[in-house]
Amino acid sequence: MSLASSIKKARYRWLPDHVFGELLSKSWIDNAIPFTIMIIVVGVVGSLLPNFFTGSNIGILARQYGELALVVLAMTTVILVGGIDLSVGSNFALGNFLMLYFLNLADLPVGLAAGLVVLICGSVGLVNGVLIGYLRLRAFLTTLVTLIIVRAIVDLLLLEYAQDMSMSFYSSPLWDLMGLGNVSIFPFSFVILVIVAVIAHVIFSRSGPGWRLLAIGGSRRSAYNMGLPVKRIVCLAYVVSGMLVGMAGILYAARLSGAGTDTGLGLEVLVLTAAILGGNSLGGGRGSVTKAMMGAVTVLVLTNGVLRLGLNSGSGPMVLGLALLFAVFVDVRWMKNRHKLLNTVYVSPTLMEMPEPRTTDEGPFKVNDRLSKVDVIGLGDVESPEDVILDDEDYLYCGNRHGDIVRFTPPEYKTYEIYAHIGGAPLGMSFDKDGNLLVCVGGMGLYMVAKKDRAVTLVTDETNRSFFSIIDDSRLRLADDLDVAPDGKIYFSEATVRYEMHDWPVDALESRGNGRIVCYDPKTKKTRTVVRNLVFPNGVCTSHDGKSILFAESWGCRINRYWLEGPKKGTVEVLADKLPGYPDNINRASDGTYWVAIMGMRSPALDLALRMPDFRRRMARRMAADQWLFPNLNIGCVARFDDDGEIIESLWDRKAANHPMITSMREHKGWLYLGGITNNRIGRIRLEGQNNRWTGWSSYWGKKSGENA
Amino acid sequence: MVKLLGQEIGGKRVKHSMISRIFDNLLGRGSAAVTVPPMDGALKPNNQLENLQPGIPAAQVDDIVEWKGEPLWSDGATLVSRSGVQAELPSVITALAALDDTLVVATLDDGLILLGGDYQRAEIAWATPITNVTAISVDQSCDILFCTGSQTNAPNEWRRDLMETNQSGMIGRANPKTGEVRILAKNLRYPSGIATTASGSIVYSEAWASHIVEMSADGSNAQIIFDEIPGYPGRLCRQENGTFWLSVFAPRNPLIEFVLREPAYRKAMLQEVAPEFWIAPHFYSGRYFNEPMQGGALKQMGILKPWAPTRSYGLVIELSSTFIPLRSFHSRTGGSRHGITSALQSGNTLRMACRGNGEILEMQLVEKGKAL
Repeated sequence: MSLASSIKKARYRWLPDHVFGELLSKSWIDNAIPFTIMIIVVGVVGSLLPNFFTGSNIGILARQYGELALVVLAMTTVILVGGIDLSVGSNFALGNFLMLYFLNLADLPVGLAAGLVVLICGSVGLVNGVLIGYLRLRAFLTTLVTLIIVRAIVDLLLLEYAQDMSMSFYSSPLWDLMGLGNVSIFPFSFVILVIVAVIAHVIFSRSGPGWRLLAIGGSRRSAYNMGLPVKRIVCLAYVVSGMLVGMAGILYAARLSGAGTDTGLGLEVLVLTAAILGGNSLGGGRGSVTKAMMGAVTVLVLTNGVLRLGLNSGSGPMVLGLALLFAVFVDVRWMKNRHKLLNTVYVSPTLMEMPEPRTTDEGPFKVNDRLSKVDVIGLGDVESPEDVILDDEDYLYCGNRHGDIVRFTPPEYKTYEIYAHIGGAPLGMSFDKDGNLLVCVGGMGLYMVAKKDRAVTLVTDETNRSFFSIIDDSRLRLADDLDVAPDGKIYFSEATVRYEMHDWPVDALESRGNGRIVCYDPKTKKTRTVVRNLVFPNGVCTSHDGKSILFAESWGCRINRYWLEGPKKGTVEVLADKLPGYPDNINRASDGTYWVAIMGMRSPALDLALRMPDFRRRMARRMAADQWLFPNLNIGCVARFDDDGEIIESLWDRKAANHPMITSMREHKGWLYLGGITNNRIGRIRLEGQNNRWTGWSSYWGKKSGENA
Repeated sequence: MVKLLGQEIGGKRVKHSMISRIFDNLLGRGSAAVTVPPMDGALKPNNQLENLQPGIPAAQVDDIVEWKGEPLWSDGATLVSRSGVQAELPSVITALAALDDTLVVATLDDGLILLGGDYQRAEIAWATPITNVTAISVDQSCDILFCTGSQTNAPNEWRRDLMETNQSGMIGRANPKTGEVRILAKNLRYPSGIATTASGSIVYSEAWASHIVEMSADGSNAQIIFDEIPGYPGRLCRQENGTFWLSVFAPRNPLIEFVLREPAYRKAMLQEVAPEFWIAPHFYSGRYFNEPMQGGALKQMGILKPWAPTRSYGLVIELSSTFIPLRSFHSRTGGSRHGITSALQSGNTLRMACRGNGEILEMQLVEKGKAL
């Protein structure tokens, strides 16, 4: 083997590039950039400044952080609803002034004063809210005006009372605690912030009002159309913003006990930078409290750092301005391109070296026309019967793409009824001991239709999450075939954990081991994954002796055995490989052998492409899926094999006249019934030399045979 | 070999800077995009070829010509008319043309030869050997115009020539009296059809470039006159009224366009995969399950959609004397009348060589662009 191909093998083995796409698909990835920026800023500033990481410095910063982050939170609330609040700086100054006024000149107690301040600042927010929410004025201009007016009011008040206020000095234990004290080791303002942030986080991420607020920010018109009280919620967001700013003003007053004309000057730019730098989308609808907090840390450390490094006086605003520009740039580019990036990198084909297939020119796989004369059942009445099954009374069941279970009546199978409606895409089916129908439903999980009243119940739709899986693989995306072991445990396959059902061609393109075998135990009602990293596992079938289950790995063109008991318990061994096509469902045959549906045939051009993952990746990126190179599925084939994996015979529909892409077959009383997921009919063909009293159910659960036998 | 692939396969020869080409190849856009031209306007698909009555069986049919007042076609190494096999030549015939009483025939082994009225081979020694001839025409001065599809691949290896992205074809003029041969144009991308216009200029189809070029009788002033053909154009046949029948012998297909831009895959495919199963256009498809299948060609609910991606197609286009498409006859995906290699109109009858299904099709034409 050449060095180049060894390197290629090693690269696909050790650098699983699907991980990158899966990372990008996580919603928390939005936090990655702000988090990185925060770490870098803290690291750089911390290393430049001596004593940065000392306790006292951290304490001072944390106290400031409490105030700043409250205002950032206020700004974030408004940004999330799709607006902006420029009046936070003036409002902050107003809050600061009023708190000092109430304490020093009006002699109010701290609690009452603080309550009044929050209300008054909230009412400034209310003015904004009414103008923007109800009167539909532009947020930017409106809050700019409030900024000026409130600032003017503060200046007027200062002119009037500044002298009086500087004469008196209020002091009380509570006030001192607020300004200088700690709760445990944490500064008071920081504790307040943590409480507010936790509440805000719960509201935004886990409550109706928070979701509605985000919905309005995401698309105001859609939110209105779905009946949300847009005006009220927008208005309320500004009120909340004003109140939070008021709280920050109070804490500021407690810390510095001074009111000046420069209080809160330029604060709006600072907090806007923090909110956006944290990753909150300026367009609204996307953001979180965590992001606001991260942004606040970054900005606080940055501004403090610039100040303490003793740079020129203009450098502070300069750094802030550049940071804001950068934040807006990242916001716009990231939001715009994240999904594009995800689309291009999520599909990641892997290296797959297919062994030379068994010949179809001679031997058991020799092409023939034995399926050309099928009896057609339900032509046009069933769409997508992926699996077919018969009960002991000869009724024929199949799923369809409308989510129904259709039942055909023996002996002619001319009439049918909708036996049950499940929804999703019913795929593999099995009867349990009591005659209940178990169905794997693509997109939904494992369901049961009760025999006595046809009630549909969910059996399981989740399994244990894999420890090292990046995407959440606990939900079942594509459960596709099942069988019941003698002890009643249900073994079923999930073809892929990376794609939804209708994206199965993408999984074929990847040909990675994305699938698994899962076991549901009805006694404990627990679902556990038993085998992982299988290449499109499919067609689970309990062996005749009940000691193992057989399953196919479709894109791997092999049939495996998973031992349930005996010395090899819990291990998987390959039973038959090098198949010329892609095996699908496996079911028992009457003579102790097994039927396997071959859904399509390998083409040499595709086998070659499987060796060239880059080729397939570019193909996926540059062409519509309809143009991709697929397995050749326009051929019908069913084969029979025994417990040694020896292929005994095959039946072909060479022209695919009735049965292209056969995905399942069942033997029942000397007939073989055929189903196909892309087909609109079921076929049956008389089998020569097979036991014409044999039924599937009695093979599993008893020795009795049907009345019609 | 790859360097100029992008823009040249696209049809137009637009000069790109190296940098933009690198970006195009990286991102799969611009010159490296795999889109194919749509079939619309006069090329709107129909089923007229598919609806024709069964034709005259001719398994290896290739070219049709009108000679001595009746149609004559090649079927492998034989020359056949309505009354049966007329002559059998030692090797497979690759092109035909009538020159008064003489029949000009190109074969795989002997190149360009002349047959007399009784199919006896006339002695002629060409100044330079003429091989791999894909199409022949005769101009007003009774000179023979011929297309050499490729220097390296015989006409029956046309799929290999496409997959090798060769551009070694030539247009030449041969004087049947003196044996003098003159090359008018070379380095062409598989010229496979040639005709003269009423004004005496030469038109030829360049299959791998999916366009038709007109040039003066001496080979100068070549310019593209019909571009963005959604298939690989083959033989051209001029009618007395000045219009042309263009046989498009295979369709273009995004997957094939993509493979043409993937040198590593293409090279491996040519080495390892049997030609029948290449991702390459063909005269027919869907016969074997080892053929490559594209997603859209999966039979759904028992039906193969006629617009599904395909490697073979049946298409004949009538072009006006100014090379504007007037009408077209189709056999779509899943049909059998694919691989139309030649078309000849006599009176109101259009005869077509259908290689995909091995038959001579006959169609009664009516005026106003409608066929029965």
